[in-house]
Amino acid sequence: MISCYKTRVRLFGPVLLLIMMVINGCESVAEHPIVDAYKFEKPAHFPEPTYTFRNNQVNEKGFKLGRRLFNDPSLSRDGSISCSSCHVQSHAFADIMLHPFSFGVEDREGKRNAPPLFNLAFQKEFFWDGGVTHLDFAPILAFESEIEMDLSFEEVVARISRSADYPALFKDAFGIEEVTGPYVLHALSQFMLMMLSADSKYDRYVQGDHQALNSLELKGLELFRQHCESCHQEPLFTDLSYRNNGVQRNITDLGRETVTEVPQDRAKFKVPSLRNIEVTSPYMHNARFETLQQVLDHYTEGVAEQVSIDPKVFASGKPVISLNAEEKEQIIAFLKTLTDPGFLTNPIFFNSND
Amino acid sequence: MKVFNNIYSMLLLFVVVLFSCQESENPTINEKGEMIVKFDNYVGNQTMILDELGSTNYRYTTAKGQEFNITRFGYYISHVKLSGPNGEVFVDEMNATADASQIKGYYRVVQGEPDTYNIHLKDVPAGQYNKITFTLGVREDGIQEGAVGGILDRAAGGWFWNWNSGFIHYLFEGHSPSSPVVQGDITNRVRLHIGGWKNIPSENEDPQRFFDNNVEISLDFDATVRVSESLRPSPHIHMNLLKVIGDADFEMENNIHSPAAGKPFSQRLAGAFIVDHTHQ
Ligand code: HEC
Ligand code: HEC
Repeated sequence: MISCYKTRVRLFGPVLLLIMMVINGCESVAEHPIVDAYKFEKPAHFPEPTYTFRNNQVNEKGFKLGRRLFNDPSLSRDGSISCSSCHVQSHAFADIMLHPFSFGVEDREGKRNAPPLFNLAFQKEFFWDGGVTHLDFAPILAFESEIEMDLSFEEVVARISRSADYPALFKDAFGIEEVTGPYVLHALSQFMLMMLSADSKYDRYVQGDHQALNSLELKGLELFRQHCESCHQEPLFTDLSYRNNGVQRNITDLGRETVTEVPQDRAKFKVPSLRNIEVTSPYMHNARFETLQQVLDHYTEGVAEQVSIDPKVFASGKPVISLNAEEKEQIIAFLKTLTDPGFLTNPIFFNSND
Repeated sequence: MKVFNNIYSMLLLFVVVLFSCQESENPTINEKGEMIVKFDNYVGNQTMILDELGSTNYRYTTAKGQEFNITRFGYYISHVKLSGPNGEVFVDEMNATADASQIKGYYRVVQGEPDTYNIHLKDVPAGQYNKITFTLGVREDGIQEGAVGGILDRAAGGWFWNWNSGFIHYLFEGHSPSSPVVQGDITNRVRLHIGGWKNIPSENEDPQRFFDNNVEISLDFDATVRVSESLRPSPHIHMNLLKVIGDADFEMENNIHSPAAGKPFSQRLAGAFIVDHTHQ
């Protein structure tokens, strides 16, 4: 009890000080709100993020380190390719070309289109088949894919450790003396987590700016909610489920079946977000379509009977979605309101080392 | 208003400090000791010896009569618990984090690296123990925290699957003349990589998706042992690879790399471990 008494006395001073600080703190925060461009802030109309920020809080140093890694071709086998070769900011970090992509174990190999990268903090699973269950692990697959960067993650980390300037940057960002795998992944995640796209015309509209959408676009939104919403759910424009919308004529890529190992998941792929869809052509995991018109024609005429075809797009022997030419135009007009110019041109993502 | 809240929380802090002071000091309850759990790997009743990749020296034979050797072998252990006849319980602390020095409760026994054969349990409350429970594998709490260090860091040799996130819980690689698998210039390859950490149970017409191949293993000691500041007992666990191979046919089952394919093997894992003897 004696020691307790002392503790109480000793605590008193600091507590008073603390109270004073709190009072002062309240005032200064109110007067000068501090805007930190490198802090992750959930858009008000978005759900709670799924990323484990408790282990890896985004901050300026970690973010900039991640940006450098993302743009660094020396982390590929022949020094020719970086993440940003396939994930290009002006295309919402998607690609314009179809890249072959090996996936799964052993010789399972397919061609898949690089998806755009944004709002990753809200996804539960990554890649078209959802095999990667945490954002931190996504770069491992990218580095090690034979057709992507073709370098073992072990070698990636070894190269970083041997480099002239990375070790000091890692020390600065994470306080570590020796670069290890998880910190490389944390830095890349910090960079990718900041890829937030939530400021399109559509976002302004749902947040109360009724002038943000014109009447054509509004008609499109109405049709979208009627025909597309059940899979491309707002506000992320995906319900994060896996479905077959019939884009493979002959099934060569098993998709979700590769990871769940049940034939019921054959040819199912993650429902992609439609944000920034205007700039991410070609479309679908196999890059089958170049234009949104072709995509809509697929939904209304192209889908055919197939194992595991989703009943929301094909039922009773015919396509479920029916739209005339004018309605398609309206939906396309709406889809273009999902473009977020601020995100596509945000200078914090530019390849620079300052 | 904010200020008042803060004063209240300070008051609360005092109360907490007072209470925590009263509760402390009870030397018998606080006495802690250690236990060293030793793992020895066997193939039937032969000790396990590794051969070079490509070796045709077949030391072992399966229940089906197929010859084989071993080039690489090991497994992850986590969530270790001890319990005793008088209600003693020890739960090994778990922590999965990027900082390798802060990883707690994850162990990997790797054949050929004798340092890994002993699991050193610290801060075990003094008392009697006669049972150990552990998970063979790495559960969801070691995966969904994201990038982790130490023996779970892929860049440092962690057995991590990149295409279907998760760890290989139990790994056996070797050769068998019964296996037709050829990879490059390596022939007769056998590889069993058993992993998988989640189940999405079947529902209506939907089948089960994924397979959780973590196995909880509970073993009784052959005798009750005592842990104290001066007594550090050591149970010796034997693992028998032949039990895990079971009646598998290396002609067909020689290249296991997914949760579903690993399921029959993981079902035999619990039967492969026994406590052989205990040193007080
Ligand atoms: C050669 C082109 C290429 C390179 C280089 C590349 N990627 Fe990708 N990336 C892809 C493709 C293709 C996919 C989709 C593959 C799939 O789903 O199977 C993808 C998927 C992803 C995803 C999952 C996105 C989602 O929504 O599920 C992330 C995250 C990602 N890449 C990050 C990276 C990072 C980080 C790097 C650098 C370390 C990188 N990529 C390098 C082509 C590339
Ligand atoms: C049954 C659920 C479902 C419905 C309903 C649906 N989609 Fe899709 N959509 C998907 C899936 C799944 C994909 C990805 C398919 C693939 O690549 O294999 C996709 C892909 C797309 C793509 C390409 C995205 C990209 O990044 O490549 C566009 C554009 C698209 N859908 C628009 C629409 C529109 C517009 C509607 C309504 C007319 C609609 N979808 C209705 C499930 C659906």
